[in-house]
Order: sequence, then structure tokens, then C-alpha cells
Amino acid sequence: MVLGLGQELVRFDRVALTFPGISGRRAVEVLRRLDLSIGAGEFIAIIGPSGCGKSTLLSLLAGYLTPSSGRVLFAGKPVSGPGRERMMVFQQPALFPWLTTAENVAYGLKLKANRGNGRNVKETVAAMLQLVQLDGFARHYPSDLSGGMRQRLEIARALAVDPQVLLMDEPLAALDALTRRRMQREVLQIWEKTRKTILFVTHDIDEAVIMADRIVVMAQRPTFVLEIEEVTLPRPRLREDPEVSKIAQRLSALLE
Amino acid sequence: MLTAAFRRMRRAALPRSTLRFVAPLTVLAGWEVAARFGLINVFLLPPPSKAFADLIVLGSSGHLWKALYASLFRVVCGFALAVTVGVCLGIAMARVRLINDFFDPLVELLRPISPLALFPLAILWFGIGDGSKIFVIALAASFPVILNTFAGARSIDINLIRASRSLGATELEIFKGIVLPASLPYIFTGVRLAWGISLIVIIAAEMIGATVGMGYMVLEAQQTFRTERVFAGIFVIGVIGFATDLGFRRLRQWLLPWYRETED
Repeated sequence: MVLGLGQELVRFDRVALTFPGISGRRAVEVLRRLDLSIGAGEFIAIIGPSGCGKSTLLSLLAGYLTPSSGRVLFAGKPVSGPGRERMMVFQQPALFPWLTTAENVAYGLKLKANRGNGRNVKETVAAMLQLVQLDGFARHYPSDLSGGMRQRLEIARALAVDPQVLLMDEPLAALDALTRRRMQREVLQIWEKTRKTILFVTHDIDEAVIMADRIVVMAQRPTFVLEIEEVTLPRPRLREDPEVSKIAQRLSALLE
Repeated sequence: MLTAAFRRMRRAALPRSTLRFVAPLTVLAGWEVAARFGLINVFLLPPPSKAFADLIVLGSSGHLWKALYASLFRVVCGFALAVTVGVCLGIAMARVRLINDFFDPLVELLRPISPLALFPLAILWFGIGDGSKIFVIALAASFPVILNTFAGARSIDINLIRASRSLGATELEIFKGIVLPASLPYIFTGVRLAWGISLIVIIAAEMIGATVGMGYMVLEAQQTFRTERVFAGIFVIGVIGFATDLGFRRLRQWLLPWYRETED
């Protein structure tokens, strides 16, 4: 199912999640009531205090967790488990260490579920590696790559199976400041080229303002959506731009 | 700075692989000289040259090859059994809770028992020939394989499995594509330990009850006061252990080229 730009692709409908207390520990209410609608092609940033359930939101949409109540809808249907239309990009890259760069990207394409979808494995791998600028590293193992390269490889592996949504869980948090800035530009470029819907969790407010169409601000646990900030400034946006810092300061005040 | 200079000097003088032989050769030479000059009791410590001469006698008479073949055959059979059973059981225990709950107490109860304590029983069950040795080797060597495989299959990063599931992998594809390769470095460590244990157990078992084999050969030499033959046998046993471990390291580089060990 292909949706036009701006049509609703994801909907969190009164989603609540409580982790049951295991072996005497108290049950933890992570999400109290989450309502959120995301359009196809949008770049959404999610910010909030640490431990507020930002990653939980992504895991729900990825299908790794199921809500205690409410519904997570993707393209109008409830999410019932992991699927290649919703790909996660983990904070600590979950690359397969025994596969080379090219083999990591090819892994998904070679699975039974994705065979015979008309995508040539070799061509797709080459195109993906070029997209994330890893074309010279096809035969390297993940352990030979730098942090930024691993993160790009993980994006390439996810994009290879042509998902509709990229779920990025603090993907740049582990990188040094310089690499981080470069990766912010690269993620935006990839988004502009592929027009995938992106949910981007970050704890860096500036990063959210620089990158996103809309910023979802989440409250302290048990979480709900505190506010949704629409950012209409033209890209590329700079941290130093007074308009950017004005929004960032407002959001930061909201979180305190 | 000094270490850098030293390193440069060493690299120029001797490659590392050659350097490794210096210490053993020095010991051998010192021993030979001490024996020749009567500084040590040559009955207790016969000169290495005498042991080597006896080794050649053993080799040319065919005595050595018969013993070596008997021992290695038992080791290979027991080891192969241990690896097969150990890998299967280790993975099954790691992935299926019911299997783990059933086998875990059994493994923990049997593990601390010296395999040699079971050897007299094994002779009763399987006879004085190959069967009893293969049994104790298989039993003793399976524990490191089980435990390491279990640890490997348990320590897989959950996100690797999640990523694979998102990409569309079936349970079988996850097992073959993720669980097995992720456990392989651990399995390999277990296998290497199992081989070492097999070599230790076979010699001891053959000294307790056997009619042929390297352990029997060494014991028989001791009982007939041929110390040089005892040393010749020990030397062969040592060389086999050393050479096979080297082989395992090579095998790992070839099998697991992606694996990075901080210290080897």
C-alpha cells in the first residue's frame, strides 16, 4: 500500500503500556495515554526526559512490544509484530558482525520473505552503499568501521528492504560532536532522497529543531504527549540561527 | 622509547615466530650438557639425545605408530562425540527452557566428577579396548562444549534477533543466520578446550587400563626402567598437543575471520 505524501501512515490511538511487575518488583507504567498521528513522508523528532518511554514508542511501532491497551495502527491496520515496512535503526548498531558491509545490506534481501520482489540483490546493495557513502567499504567487517560508518551501514541495511518508516532510536547519541553534525546532514539528505517517514528519537533539543518537521515533546513517565511543535523553518537549519535557538529554548523550558 | 628501540632491534634480529623456539631449545641444550658432564642423575633425567635416539628406534620398529594410532583413534572418536552432543545440547538448553530445566542439574552433578573415577565402570561396561576410552573422553570433553555453546547462544544481542525479524526472517532463518554464527566463537572456544581435555584423559586412561596406546607405552617404559623412552613418549604427546592447538588457531582465523580477540 503506497500512501500519498501527508496522508496518515501511523496512528497511536489511546496507547497505554504497563510492564507487569516480575518477581516481586513493582509494575511500571510507561505510557499512560498516547495519541499521535503521523503523515507519510514526515520527519518526526521525539524528545523528552530520559526514561520517559521514547524508545518504547518506537518498539511499539516496530512490533517488538504490544500495548496494554489502545491500538498502534500502521497504514490503517493494527501492528501485530515486526515487519519490513517498519525498520528500526538502533542506538548501538545491531549489525551482524560475521557479515561484511555488503553482506549486512544483502542479508534482508536474501531472506525468503523478500525474494522475488523484483529487487536485484547486487544492484540494491550497490545503490544502498552509495546512498550512505560506504561504497569503498563493501568487504570490511563492522568491527573495522568507525561509529559513524556503522550507523550509516545500519541505515543502509534497513533501507535495502524498502521500508515505509525508519524508526531511529537515538541513532547519533554515541557519536562524537563532529561526526554527529555530519551525520545529521547525511540523515536529512537520505530522507530528502528517499522520502521515507522518519521517527527520530533524540535527547538533543537542538538536533530535533534542526532536523524535524514536527517535534513531539513527551512528559515524564507515565508518559503522554506534552506538546507537538511544528517547525516550518527552511532547511538547512543552523544551530546558531536565532529562530532555531528560540524554538529550542522554548522546548527546553517546557521540559524543565 | 627504550622499548621502541628494543622492539626495532628485535624485529631486525629475529622474527617473532623464530623467537618462540629460543626458550625450549635453550632448556634442551642446558639439559644435554648437564647430563653429559654428569651434573644430573642420567637415570632420572637421561640426556635428550638419548631420548631422541630411542624415539627413532620406536619409529622405525613401528611400535610408536601403533601406539599413536590407537590413542589418536580413541581421541578423535570421543572428541567428535563430545562436540556433536555438546553443541546440540548446549543450543537446545539455551533456546528451550524445558530442556534446560531437565538437563541442567544432570550436567552440574556429573561435571565435578573426575572422568577417571568413572573409568573402572567404563571398562566393565565397554571392555578394556577402545570403547571405554571413547566413553570417558566423550563424557569429559562434552562439558566445556555444552557450557560454552550455552553461554554463546544465551549472550546473543536481542537487537540482532529483532533486526533480523524486522527484515522478515523466519524462526529457522534466525536460527541459521543469527543464533549459530553468533554462538560460533564460543562454540569454538569450547571445542578447543574439549580437544585439550581429550588429550589429557586418553593418556591417563591408557595408564590405568589398556593394552596399547601412548599412555600404555609410557607406563610400560617406566615399569621396565627405560626413562629415555618415557621422555620420548612424553615428547610425542607434547608435540601433538602443541601442533593441534596451533591448527585450531589457524582454523579459527579461517572460520571466523570477523572475530576480534583482544588478547590471544
